[in-house]
Amino acid sequence: MMEGPRIQTREEMSSFLTENEGVDVNRLVPLPFPYEDWQDEPIPRLTDSQLERIVPGPDGIAAAQIPVPESDEERDRVVASFLEGLRKLLTKENNWTFLQPFILSLENCVKCQTCADACPIYTGSGEMEVYRPTFRAEILRKIVDRYIKPGGSIFPKLRGNDIELDWDVVVRLAELSYRCTLCRRCAQTCPVGVDNALITREIRKLFSQELGIAMPELHEKGTVKQLTVGSSTGLNPAGLADIMEFAEEDIQEKAGLNIPMPMDVEGAEYLVMHNAGEFLSWPENLQAFAIILEAAGIKWTLSSELLGYDSVNYGLFYDDVQYSRVALKHYEVAKNLGVKKMLVGECGHAHKALMPIADRLIPEELRVRTESCLVLLEDLVVNEKLLLDPSRNDFPVTLHDPCNITRSMGIVQPERNILKKIAPRFREMEPHGVHNYCCGGGSGFAICSSLNFSQWRTRVAGRLKFRQILEAFADEIGPGTKKYLCAPCSNCKGQMRDLINYYEAWDRCGILYGGLVELIVNAMVDVREGFIEWEMH
Amino acid sequence: MVGYLLGGWVWLCLVTFAGGCLLRAFKYATAPVHLRWDLYPVAHEPGRDHGGSYFEQLEWWTKKREKDHLAEIFAMAAEILLLKGVWENNRRLWWASFPFHWGLYLLVGTTLGLMAVMVGLGSPFVTVVLTAGGVIGGGLTCLGALALLVMRSTDQKLRLYTTPLDRANLLVLVLFGGLTVAIAVGFPGMNDVPAGLVSLLSFGGATIPAVWALQIAVGALFLFYLPLTRMVHFFAKYFTYHQVRWDDQPIEENPKMASRLQAALAFGVDWSADHVGGGRTWGEVATTIPGMEEGE
Ligand code: SF4
Ligand code: SF4
Repeated sequence: MMEGPRIQTREEMSSFLTENEGVDVNRLVPLPFPYEDWQDEPIPRLTDSQLERIVPGPDGIAAAQIPVPESDEERDRVVASFLEGLRKLLTKENNWTFLQPFILSLENCVKCQTCADACPIYTGSGEMEVYRPTFRAEILRKIVDRYIKPGGSIFPKLRGNDIELDWDVVVRLAELSYRCTLCRRCAQTCPVGVDNALITREIRKLFSQELGIAMPELHEKGTVKQLTVGSSTGLNPAGLADIMEFAEEDIQEKAGLNIPMPMDVEGAEYLVMHNAGEFLSWPENLQAFAIILEAAGIKWTLSSELLGYDSVNYGLFYDDVQYSRVALKHYEVAKNLGVKKMLVGECGHAHKALMPIADRLIPEELRVRTESCLVLLEDLVVNEKLLLDPSRNDFPVTLHDPCNITRSMGIVQPERNILKKIAPRFREMEPHGVHNYCCGGGSGFAICSSLNFSQWRTRVAGRLKFRQILEAFADEIGPGTKKYLCAPCSNCKGQMRDLINYYEAWDRCGILYGGLVELIVNAMVDVREGFIEWEMH
Repeated sequence: MVGYLLGGWVWLCLVTFAGGCLLRAFKYATAPVHLRWDLYPVAHEPGRDHGGSYFEQLEWWTKKREKDHLAEIFAMAAEILLLKGVWENNRRLWWASFPFHWGLYLLVGTTLGLMAVMVGLGSPFVTVVLTAGGVIGGGLTCLGALALLVMRSTDQKLRLYTTPLDRANLLVLVLFGGLTVAIAVGFPGMNDVPAGLVSLLSFGGATIPAVWALQIAVGALFLFYLPLTRMVHFFAKYFTYHQVRWDDQPIEENPKMASRLQAALAFGVDWSADHVGGGRTWGEVATTIPGMEEGE
């Protein structure tokens, strides 16, 4: 069973940042049947040779891959740059994008801890203090109060600004900013309206925009690659053409349909924006979209322009500059193609990046109307514009709500209306909708598997989600009944795949994961039966 | 002499309180327009019961936007009057926080009532109400603050995040609440209170009993430092809800905002990381990538 939190005094809070304490897998939230006897494998520590190069977080995990400094001068430089960045974060010139919500959250937390129990990582870990939603925010607050605000060093202990800023604190704070999926479940429960996810994102931003420190999967291998090569997957237009050719053949073979993949069709109704990860990992998702749009007689297109074929925008998770560059490019592609609208495919963060967040960034001359695929699909399914046979989906189905689509955008009902129509054995997880738990792969985590991060992601970050999945299927949990975990988001699917693999949930429980369009196509009478292939992939 | 000093202290505190709150509110209100950061459920959306937004509609931009202002008011009222969020998510704390907040609300109400009497709007009924307000408000404040103090000292989760000054603040409120009860009970009908306050604030030289003087001094002290603390959440919450969580207005509905955003794009950026390429305006930084040809 869980013990209480282990730190008891204020002084220990700082020491928590500087002393390494690995995750104790025995404290993780227990799982229900058939996992009562499940023994988690411990999360490996970094090896000595890794530790020579990389500084882990206070929990022994490394995501940001912060290099070990070569000299004391370098350490001092990091601290000075951090403080400089913090000052910039508090200026309107450098941070107009989020200054108001940031200072509101920084200055008004009443430390009531109402948010703590809402956090899947904090609770899933067995209440490790460094994962508490307020922990990172509180460290930052103390630093601002002590080192940035005038008179900060007067009676620091009395005022709670009892933190000594040094290199250890700075780099561990950077690393800890990658232990929160920015799911904003904590923010939802805060009576004051404070948003610890936003503060965490601001910390990431400071490190990225001032010190050039960020999770490599988000930066070098993410936005930088996307802005130069065209996609964070490394896919270039030539590779894209191959994938489309393969998709056409696959549709012919699997569904018995002859559907061309339209590319760069000027003036189309929709430019469909997919997460390019789908093309490589789940091509059936791209194919299902094509089948549905063709069946509905919609004039749609894909783009082969750089960035036009990859809707991801990892800048959303760590860097306003990179975010803006990618978002502007996306809209530029759509505008140049002269499409009427953009349709965001099954990717949660792309929804948020292209719709609400971009709303105040895209200049009028580049503006293109943008819509969620879930809303269009709802129209096609509920208004019977597709011929469907729900009995083809006669297996238990549950829905994972991507945080960015539900909690951050309020698109909740369309996907449910679809499932109620096409999946007779659909059941909800609890809690669901805007109150869902994050899959544990949010804010870029799903694409990070380096060092020991994927082990942390499956055991800790995804723990509560996995428990929810088991509970949703509890009545038919045996492996004999094949079950479908519907996750209409590429990054969530990546995390679901890793959860199912780590917990052996395909073999033990017969749980398979996939998108929503695959389920729709699986029920389409014009499509050969068995579009969903019951194989773990 | 004590009366003059006390009068001066009260005025100083009142001015600091008003000025401090105004400055903080001004800081929040004049911050630049930010990118959207809505969080659902949004109280004014018709789909609020399931947390829905206008994005749930096909071609949402062609639909008339329905905004239920009344629902927003109800949601705010439930938060302010019932502490609904704390009730739902932190029941244990609610038992202390709810009486504490209501104690303060009643004390604010009682003070406003006293001001009304000071300008000649008194009546026997008002006096009874004010006495009740002082006793109940003071009592709830005192007990609520005491309960919070105990919780913040014994509950490990709260203790770690509670500073010595937080405890001192709660002690001030325990004292103030207790003294208010003593005065409301000790000055039956509170008949002398309005006149005493008028004299105090106009430096009229009336003698104020020691307990009452202490109550006034402590209450004023609380007002003095309040704007420096997170207790300004009583108005900051307006911004966190209305200008962040529930701010889902699309840009085209607000041309003023569009021009403020335009101005923001002209701000100079001096972030130091290489990929930013600082030393230029936001507009330039967002549209070019260091090391690549402009517009490439
Ligand atoms: S963020 Fe909100 S809920 Fe959490 S401790 Fe602060 S005020 Fe309380
Ligand atoms: S945003 Fe999500 S993961 Fe991060 S602290 Fe809040 S609840 Fe936890």
